[in-house]
Amino acid sequence: MSKFGLGKLLRRSLIHRKARSLSALIAMTVSAGVATALLTLYADLDAKLHHEFRSFGANIVVTGTSDLAAAQKAAGSDANVAQFAYAVATTDRGTSVVVVGVDFPAVRKLDSWWQVAQWPTGADDALLGERAAQFVGDEKDVTLTFAGQPHTFKGVGHVKTGGDEDSRIYTSIDTFQSWTHVAPSVLEIQIPGGAASVEAAISRLKSALPGADVEPVRQLVEGESSIVDKTHTLMFGAVLLIALTVACSVLATLSASVLERRRDFALMKALGSSQGQMMGLFLAETLLLATGGVIGGYCLGSVAAWVISEVNFNTASLPRVGVLPIVLALNIGIAAIAALLPLRVLRGLEPAALLKGE
Amino acid sequence: MGWTASKRSEGKIVFFRLLFESFLRQRRRKMLAGIAILLGTTAVTAMLALATTIGDRIHQELAVYGANIVVFPKADSLDVKVGGVDVKPATGGAYLKESDLEKLHGIFWANNITGVSPELTHTLRIWSNDSNGFVLNVSAKGLWFDHKFGVGTTGSVQLHPWWKMQGEWPKTWKDVVIGANLAARLHLRRGDEFEIAVANTREEVHEAVVSGIATTNGPEDDMLLMPLDQFQIASSLPNEISRVEISARTKPEDAFARQDPDKMSAKLRDVWYCRPYANSIAYQIREAIPGSDAEQVRRVEQSEGTVLERISGLMWLISGAALLAAGFAVSAAMATAVLERRGEIGLMRSLGASKGAIAALFYAESGLLAAATGTVGYLAGSALAWWLGAKIFPGDGKEPMLNLVLLPVIVAMALIVAVAGSTPAIRAALNADPSRTLREDT
Repeated sequence: MSKFGLGKLLRRSLIHRKARSLSALIAMTVSAGVATALLTLYADLDAKLHHEFRSFGANIVVTGTSDLAAAQKAAGSDANVAQFAYAVATTDRGTSVVVVGVDFPAVRKLDSWWQVAQWPTGADDALLGERAAQFVGDEKDVTLTFAGQPHTFKGVGHVKTGGDEDSRIYTSIDTFQSWTHVAPSVLEIQIPGGAASVEAAISRLKSALPGADVEPVRQLVEGESSIVDKTHTLMFGAVLLIALTVACSVLATLSASVLERRRDFALMKALGSSQGQMMGLFLAETLLLATGGVIGGYCLGSVAAWVISEVNFNTASLPRVGVLPIVLALNIGIAAIAALLPLRVLRGLEPAALLKGE
Repeated sequence: MGWTASKRSEGKIVFFRLLFESFLRQRRRKMLAGIAILLGTTAVTAMLALATTIGDRIHQELAVYGANIVVFPKADSLDVKVGGVDVKPATGGAYLKESDLEKLHGIFWANNITGVSPELTHTLRIWSNDSNGFVLNVSAKGLWFDHKFGVGTTGSVQLHPWWKMQGEWPKTWKDVVIGANLAARLHLRRGDEFEIAVANTREEVHEAVVSGIATTNGPEDDMLLMPLDQFQIASSLPNEISRVEISARTKPEDAFARQDPDKMSAKLRDVWYCRPYANSIAYQIREAIPGSDAEQVRRVEQSEGTVLERISGLMWLISGAALLAAGFAVSAAMATAVLERRGEIGLMRSLGASKGAIAALFYAESGLLAAATGTVGYLAGSALAWWLGAKIFPGDGKEPMLNLVLLPVIVAMALIVAVAGSTPAIRAALNADPSRTLREDT
């Protein structure tokens, strides 16, 4: 059989039984699509989950320094850093209250759980804690006294957190410093990523800020790592299970379609084809279908992964080229097994008996 | 063609015999379809079983972040705390009654409360009588340690899983725990004894033994921690508590949860009240405990909500993918199983069976196969989910292995998919010319 003959045979064989070729192609496309979608999601999972944990806020607290620039440099550009300066002042009603000087945009980014109707913008604007607000006479005209120095702030809204913040008054750091001359004493830093990147950031911060006390917020770091790891393992199990199901279905479809061609097989054998030639034909046919399926499935799967991440995480998962070779190898492996398994069964059969219909 | 009315009862018997024979024979051909259904239902059952329990499991993991609701006396003074340390401890102040905590069992969402930790903070005077003796006022906290509450026990250690202990948490009435920094400062070790009395006095002296040293990474590192009832006696504040931390299973907050219940219509308010939002549980606690104010800890609650939502959302979407893959696998396998039997169909038709009778036979066969293997797949999937859950989230083996609600769902899905999957193949086989099919195929 010439090379041209094989190509022609292949083409004829694929076109002649369209329905069968189509069902095999669909099987390969679906398996490649599911594999692509799951692998793309799986590759992105850790980054996406760590991103969700950013909403828990700072995972490192640095005390005893006010060097914001050095801390930001050591923590990295994608870390959120906010500085806090504390003083105990007296309200016009004579109650002691903790006043905190902060950079409002930085806090807003770091502490996303704060319930604030309106963030302050002006220099003398203040944010009153939900409970602290009950201890001032006029919220629009809050006079606070620190070390005999009075200063009047304009309360623009309340902050509610269910924590210590509710009993405090937050002001802009520049106004706070010119009023109290108290330097920021606490830096809260939010490092993206798991325990390893937090540990690395801590050692960087320690060498960049000698004399400062750098502590991780241990329960956050440990909790995040444990949950991300567990979800990761769970996903791994799910991916394996689904891959197995899909592989089985492809195997069933393809090997049935090969088995169905017993008569072709017998006829070719009777006409004098060698075992190798027939094997080559079957293999070439299924591999062609598998490759076609991978191309279609990769596109479909990438779209599915993109939709799933957009729906669930509100950020897109971009198609990954690195997934393609894995999916290709997986599909071709399944296709080869599906083509060769029935051949082993057929090999032992006598062409004459098959053609007679026994 | 078809059977006449007089032969109907006979036809029925023939139908069931045919079904029975055909179901038992040709096992090899049916095996592929059976394995496909089995694997498909196993995958779907396992994913659904995991997806329905993932919320509780992640909530348990997130418990390391501590309480999500705090209860404190209605404000009559303002906390002056920086970094968790009281800069100006309030004198007097308002308290809640410890005995009122029993009322938590009576609220609507009582079963969702998984942990309760009341505390009382006060200053005590401590001194030791041995050679390196010390006399000083320290800030001290009374807490529950494995306290009986309802059916189980709860307390501070449960709500602060990140607290590290060298030694043992208090067991007898003399036992106290020292924060790591304070212990280092006073050179106290496990087993050391000292005396306790109300701040600035040496009256009503109590003895104390250090049972352990606690590292908390918080203000407790500079404190003395002791059982609440002992502490109430030592500080002469019987039955008083200053704060309660509560860990509750909640539903992530949505727009409805944020509304003010007091401004809702009565009907809407009932709906709000009967959903386990942190806000509505806090509202019920405020109602139950006199003079209290309860708030969700937004840092924990809000962030837990997002993480929980994302992970369970992911699980549901993956379950959807599993369902799709399984549906495809089953229908593909059913289609090939029917296609292989075109010859049989041709024979039956040429022998005079009606299209309806043949279709009924094949559908019944597919349905029987789907129901049987679907049930086995349900069992296998449940076992797999249980094993996987126990492996990944150790320590919560309380989950039952079988979720019976899933059984009808899974079997119904297997039936629908099997019938839908075999329909095109059956239709094609029925529409084909019997004589041609018979000649073409064996």
